[in-house]
Amino acid sequence: MKKSLIVMFIALLAVAVLFTGCAKKEEPVKITTLTLAQGKPEIDAALKAYAATWGTANNVTVTIKSIGGTSGGLGPALKADFAAGDMPDLFAFDGLESYKEWENLVLDVSSEPWVSKTAVAFKYNNKVFGFPVAVEGWGMAYNADLLAKAGIDPATLNNYDGYMNAFAKLDSMKKELGIDSVVSMAASIEMGWVTAHHNFNSLLANGLPYGDLSVVDALLAGNVDATRLSEYADWVELLFKYADKTVLTTGNYDSQVGAFATGKAAFLHQGNWVDGNLKGVATFKMAFAPHGSMKKATDGIFVAAPSFYAINKDSKNLAMAKKFLTDLATTPEGAQYMVKEAGMIPAYSGISLQPEGQLSQSVQAWSAAGKVYSWSQYYFTGDFRDKTLNPLYNQFATGKINKAQFVDLMTKALIANKK
Amino acid sequence: MNIKKENSLVFWLFLAPVLLAFTVVIIVPFFLGVFYSFTNWSSSAKADGGLQFIGLRNYTESFKDPAFAHSFGVTVIYTIFNMMFINVVAFALALLVTSKIKLRKIYRVGFFVPNLIGGLILGYIWQFLFNNALPSLGKAVPALAALASPENLLLARPTSAIVALIIVGTWQYAGYIMMIYIAAIENVPVELHEAAMIDGASPMERLRAITLPMAAQAFTVTMFLTLVQSFKQFDVNVSLTSGGPSTMFQGVPVLGTELLALNIYNTAFLSNFLAMGQARAVVFFLVLAVIALVQVAVNKKKELEL
Repeated sequence: MKKSLIVMFIALLAVAVLFTGCAKKEEPVKITTLTLAQGKPEIDAALKAYAATWGTANNVTVTIKSIGGTSGGLGPALKADFAAGDMPDLFAFDGLESYKEWENLVLDVSSEPWVSKTAVAFKYNNKVFGFPVAVEGWGMAYNADLLAKAGIDPATLNNYDGYMNAFAKLDSMKKELGIDSVVSMAASIEMGWVTAHHNFNSLLANGLPYGDLSVVDALLAGNVDATRLSEYADWVELLFKYADKTVLTTGNYDSQVGAFATGKAAFLHQGNWVDGNLKGVATFKMAFAPHGSMKKATDGIFVAAPSFYAINKDSKNLAMAKKFLTDLATTPEGAQYMVKEAGMIPAYSGISLQPEGQLSQSVQAWSAAGKVYSWSQYYFTGDFRDKTLNPLYNQFATGKINKAQFVDLMTKALIANKK
Repeated sequence: MNIKKENSLVFWLFLAPVLLAFTVVIIVPFFLGVFYSFTNWSSSAKADGGLQFIGLRNYTESFKDPAFAHSFGVTVIYTIFNMMFINVVAFALALLVTSKIKLRKIYRVGFFVPNLIGGLILGYIWQFLFNNALPSLGKAVPALAALASPENLLLARPTSAIVALIIVGTWQYAGYIMMIYIAAIENVPVELHEAAMIDGASPMERLRAITLPMAAQAFTVTMFLTLVQSFKQFDVNVSLTSGGPSTMFQGVPVLGTELLALNIYNTAFLSNFLAMGQARAVVFFLVLAVIALVQVAVNKKKELEL
C-alpha cells in the first residue's frame, strides 16, 4: 500500500511536470497589454472598436471584458479575477460601496489632465479615484405625443399632485389613446434595480441640492424622517397603481421598455440608456419629467456618472492605462466614440458632439439648466438594496403588503441597517 | 521489475492525469472552501483587508438569517415535489414509448430534447410562456379567460411560482430520467411477462408485480439523480424567477422562491459576504450528502437480485 502511494505520487509529479513543460513552451512575446473590465454590455462593440484603433496607434493590445447586470454582474467576475491574481489594469465600479471593496487597489488619479474637465469624477477624501464613464440620467420618461393628445402639460409634472391628476386623466382616456396602462413600471425581483436602486433614490435625493447627503446620512444613522418617507410611499403607490400589473409583477427589462416603445404606456420609469432600445421602434416625441415623490415641486431629474473606471495600482502598464483614459476624455476620437458610437452623454467639457437619442438629449437639457439631483443609492450596500429593499418593493407591488405596512417595514429596515 | 510492480506503475500512470485534475479542481478547492468558511475572506482589496480567522461566526449568522432558513424550507419542498413529479412523469413516458404505440421512436427523441436545452435559456423561454403566452391564450379563448387576469400569473405569487419551477424542472429533466427507465423496462425478461399473461395477469398486475420490482435498480439511480438535481437547482431558478416574488418570513421580507444554491450565490455576490456564502455551501454539502446516502441505502434494500 505504501509503495503504491509512492508510485502514485511519482506518477502525479510526472504528469504535473508534463503540464508545466507544455506551458513553458510559449515564450512571452513583448507586447504591452491593457485589460479593461467594464459593466455596460450595450457599449461593448463600440468600446472594442475604439480600443482596437487606439491600441494600434499606441502599440498596445487592449482587451475589453464586458460583464453586464447590476451588483450581480461585474462584481463576481472581478472577485474571481482578483482571487486568481489576474486583476484587470482598468476596471469599473459604480460608487462608494464598491469603491470600498477595492480601496487598496485603486490608484489616486487627482493629477490627471482630465480631472479639470469634469464635474462628476469619483472623489473620496478630496482625492480623485474614478474616471466617469459618461453622464446618465433618469426621471419619468414620457411620450409627448400622448400627453399632448390628453391635454397634459409636462411642466405640471413635478410633484405628487401633478402626477396624480395626470395619471388619473390618462387612465380615464385609455381607450382613446390606445394605451394598456399609464406607466410602465417593473418591480419583479429581477428588476430590483429599478425599484430598490433607482426609485429608492427619490427618497434619498429628490429636491435636495446636488451632492447634499443630509437625508442619506440621517437614514444611515437610523433616523427616519416620517413625513418624507410617507410622501415617498404615496409616490410608489401611485406608480404601482397605474402600472400594467403583468409588467409590474413579473415583467423583465424588455417587457417594461417594450410597453413604452410601442406606445402602450405613456410613461416609463427608466433612464436615458433605453435610447438604444427605442431606436427604430419608437417614433414619437419623448423627454424626461421630474419624479413626483414629494408634495412640493421638485424641478429636476437624477443625473450622475453611472460608473467610473479605476486604474489598478498594481498594473504593470500604469503609464499606458493613464494615457488610455486621458485620450478617451480629451481627443476627438475619444469624443466620437463616447457620443456617436456608444451613444453616451460625455462627462467632459470641450466636447461639442450631441448624442442622437431623444432621452439623452433631454438629460443634457436638464443638466445644462442646472436642474439636477444626485444619485445617492450607492451609499447603501448591495446587501441592503438587493436583499432587504428589493423584496419590500416587490411585496408592495404584488399587493402582499399595503402602504402602511410598506412604510413600517421600510422604517424598520432602515433602523436595522444602522451602522 | 516484476509483473506486479509494472502493472501497478501502469495503473497509476494511467490514472494520474485524472487524479491530478481531480485533486486540483475538486479536492484542493473543497478544503480551501472549508478553510475560507471560518474566515472573513472577501476576495477584494478593502482598506482593512487581510484574512482573519473568525471561527464559527459565518455559520451562526447564517442560521440566524431568516432568508437562509426560508431557502432551506423551500428547497426541501421543491425537492420532494420535483422528485415525485419527474419520476412519475418519466416512468409514465417510459411505459408509453416502450409500448406498441406508433411513432414511439419520435416520442423518445421529443421527450428527451428539453434536456439538451441549457437551463438558463429554458428558464427565459418558460418565463415568456408564463408571462405572455398564457395570458394571450386567455384573451383568445373565452373558456380560459382566467389566465388573462394578472392576478393569476403563475410567477406573481410565491406558491404558484414554485409550482412553475416544478413544471419547468419536470419538463427539463423527465426526458432524461425516462431514458434510464426505458433501459430498465426493456431489460425485464420477456418470459416473465409471457408466463404471467398465460396465468391471466392483467397489464396493471404485470406492471405492479413484474416491471416495478425488476426496475428497482433503476429507481435507485433515478431517485439519486433527481434528488441531487433538484437540490442543486440554480440556473432555471435564476432565469425563471430570480428568487421572486417576495414573501414574509419570521417578520422580514425574504425572496419567496430562492432555492439554496441561489441563496448561496446571492449571499456571496449580491451581499458581498463571500466567506458566509462559503459557509452555507459547506452546510449545503453536508446536508445533501447525508440525504443522498440515506436515499441510496433505502433504495438499495428494495433492489432484487435475479
